[in-house]
Amino acid sequence: MDFSQTWLPFLYLYGVGGIAFIIGMLIIIRSNALRLTFQKHLKWVWVLIFGFLFYAAIHAFFIFVAIGSQ
Amino acid sequence: MMNIEVGTQLDKIVILVYFALVMGFGAYFGKYSKSTSDYFFGGRRFAWWLITISIVATGVGSHSFVKYSTKAYQYGLSSTMTYLNDWFFMPLFMFGWLPIIYYTKVRSIPEYFERRFNPTARYLATMMILMYMIGYIAIQFLTLATALYRIYGIPLMLTVVLIAIATTIYMHFGGQTSVIFTDLLQGFILIFAGLLLFFLGIQFLGNQVGINGLSAFWMNLTPLQKLPLAHFNHPPDFNFVGIFWQDGIAGSVGFLFLNQGLIMRFMAAKSVNEGRKAAAVNVLFVLPISAIVVSNAGWIGRAITNVAPGILPSGMAANDVFVAVTNIVASPGVFGFIIAALCAALMSTADTLVNASSAVIVNDIYRPLSKKVKTEKQQLEFARWTSIAVKVIAVILVPFFNSFDSIYEAHGWFHSTFTPPLVVGVFLGIFWKRFTSQAVIATFLGGAFLMILGQFYPQLISPFDHGIELRPDRGYSYIGALYNIFVCAAVGVIVSLFTKSDSSQKLVGLTVYDVHKLKSIFKGSDVNEEVGECPVVNWKLESNDTDELRFSSNDMKLMKANTGDLVYIQDARWWLGGLKSAHSTYGKPHNEDGVVYINSSHLEHGQFVEGLSLRAEKEM
Repeated sequence: MDFSQTWLPFLYLYGVGGIAFIIGMLIIIRSNALRLTFQKHLKWVWVLIFGFLFYAAIHAFFIFVAIGSQ
Repeated sequence: MMNIEVGTQLDKIVILVYFALVMGFGAYFGKYSKSTSDYFFGGRRFAWWLITISIVATGVGSHSFVKYSTKAYQYGLSSTMTYLNDWFFMPLFMFGWLPIIYYTKVRSIPEYFERRFNPTARYLATMMILMYMIGYIAIQFLTLATALYRIYGIPLMLTVVLIAIATTIYMHFGGQTSVIFTDLLQGFILIFAGLLLFFLGIQFLGNQVGINGLSAFWMNLTPLQKLPLAHFNHPPDFNFVGIFWQDGIAGSVGFLFLNQGLIMRFMAAKSVNEGRKAAAVNVLFVLPISAIVVSNAGWIGRAITNVAPGILPSGMAANDVFVAVTNIVASPGVFGFIIAALCAALMSTADTLVNASSAVIVNDIYRPLSKKVKTEKQQLEFARWTSIAVKVIAVILVPFFNSFDSIYEAHGWFHSTFTPPLVVGVFLGIFWKRFTSQAVIATFLGGAFLMILGQFYPQLISPFDHGIELRPDRGYSYIGALYNIFVCAAVGVIVSLFTKSDSSQKLVGLTVYDVHKLKSIFKGSDVNEEVGECPVVNWKLESNDTDELRFSSNDMKLMKANTGDLVYIQDARWWLGGLKSAHSTYGKPHNEDGVVYINSSHLEHGQFVEGLSLRAEKEM
């Protein structure tokens, strides 16, 4: 299995998707739609970051496992 | 298509019983639809968990089982890609779009286009959204009819008509509340049936190989089939980068921001925060489970083929893998149950779309064009008949979609044709104040023209192809979405820069930059953000026409509420999920602790039961 089958899709997904995610976070914070001073909103910040890392971890895990099973 | 002998008498009975149960279940909840607000939006009252499960059934269409099983059989675990790439736009959805649609009380996506831009933008959006949704309903009818007519042996079109009638019976009387509750039931059934199929398949594999079923399954997938993402740009019909732009970007934005059915689901939540919880749980936990549910027949089929090539019919088309695997691993009756789950997927996706189309027709065509003001009853009646008309048109369209090579292709054609201009229009509308009314119309018309040009001259798409091979006579598939988004966005940005921006007063509450003001706009006064308790109280009826609930002074202190704040009361039984509930404002307090005075309108709307207590919650 070469790079374009394993890590390239992963890097593209979390690179381009990550840019969309970060821009989204910046827009909602800078516009005050999400207020970091609100306890309730702060919890959501952690949920949003967790979600991003959660999916990245799932994909990375299965790529490692697939490479390991060669 | 291969000739599989499918279904026994028992399977046929199971499927019929299932249809009857769902129709009865949906019709029962019709009594909770008292107005068009209830009919379309469920009265803004439901808990997050109820919304979450009902979204499952909406997101997993009947075509999903066939489509994803096919890709799972051909390519393995990477069939889950499209279910696991929706998180990137969650910040913008949860804290941008969701509060805007909830607090501005926009009844439909086209209505947003009128408020944000102008009536022309609304009508163009209405046409595009209606064409998209009715066509989608036709595809759903076709998918299920294709499976059922082979089991019952009745002609395809007659099967389509019978399915349309079955969904009409419960929707006609129930509207959104029926849709939510039948989808709740069907969401559970879908997940259970899909996981049951996975379990049976693994057991079958274990018996074949003589070892633990899960190990047999895993060992009989090749390393390539275990990869969670497809090859970057090869082959043309299933590659990562094309699917990322088509589904991860255009599809995710389309689904979260433009799917009228989904938006209506979130508007049925009792608050924005409940909507956020529903969205987060759905994308984080339910979508990965759904990915297994819709794909596993293909994985099992692939593992069976790898371990014992003769079991699945030789020359079987990949499209047939779902039915073929189910037929092999499930016993009579269980097969019927799993096909009934396919019915569940169809009915829940179709009913949501029919209800959404009906909402668009009533809100964006009937109301604006009616010369006389119509009563709620007249509008509700019109909405019910509209949902029937939508189904009739969808049934008429079925033969057109049946002429495509596959349902997958018909579905892909829809997504790539109708989504990008709307995606760009709504996205720039929410997040770029400078985006003008002229620009959105140019995006719809000019963008659509350039998209059509791209279909005829694929070389225009070549600069965006990421090395994906151009298939002679068939053009590019998924990566066309990147070109479509680019040209629509380019038209929108360029026209915006050369036209006068809309007055900032007109934009109040309609862009992400005003989200922090939306609560006070919604309430009509300052927001009370103090966190109080949620007491359980008994209710007493008083003859009073004002829309106010009266609590004792002590209970109001407990809730940290003031007269004029917004309040939500619901039956204290949590498992009703807000079905019996009402919104109102705090009236003048009294001195009877643990008692709330309600009027007959609250009682009728909330369907509260005598002798059963209510839980009160200050909203803002």
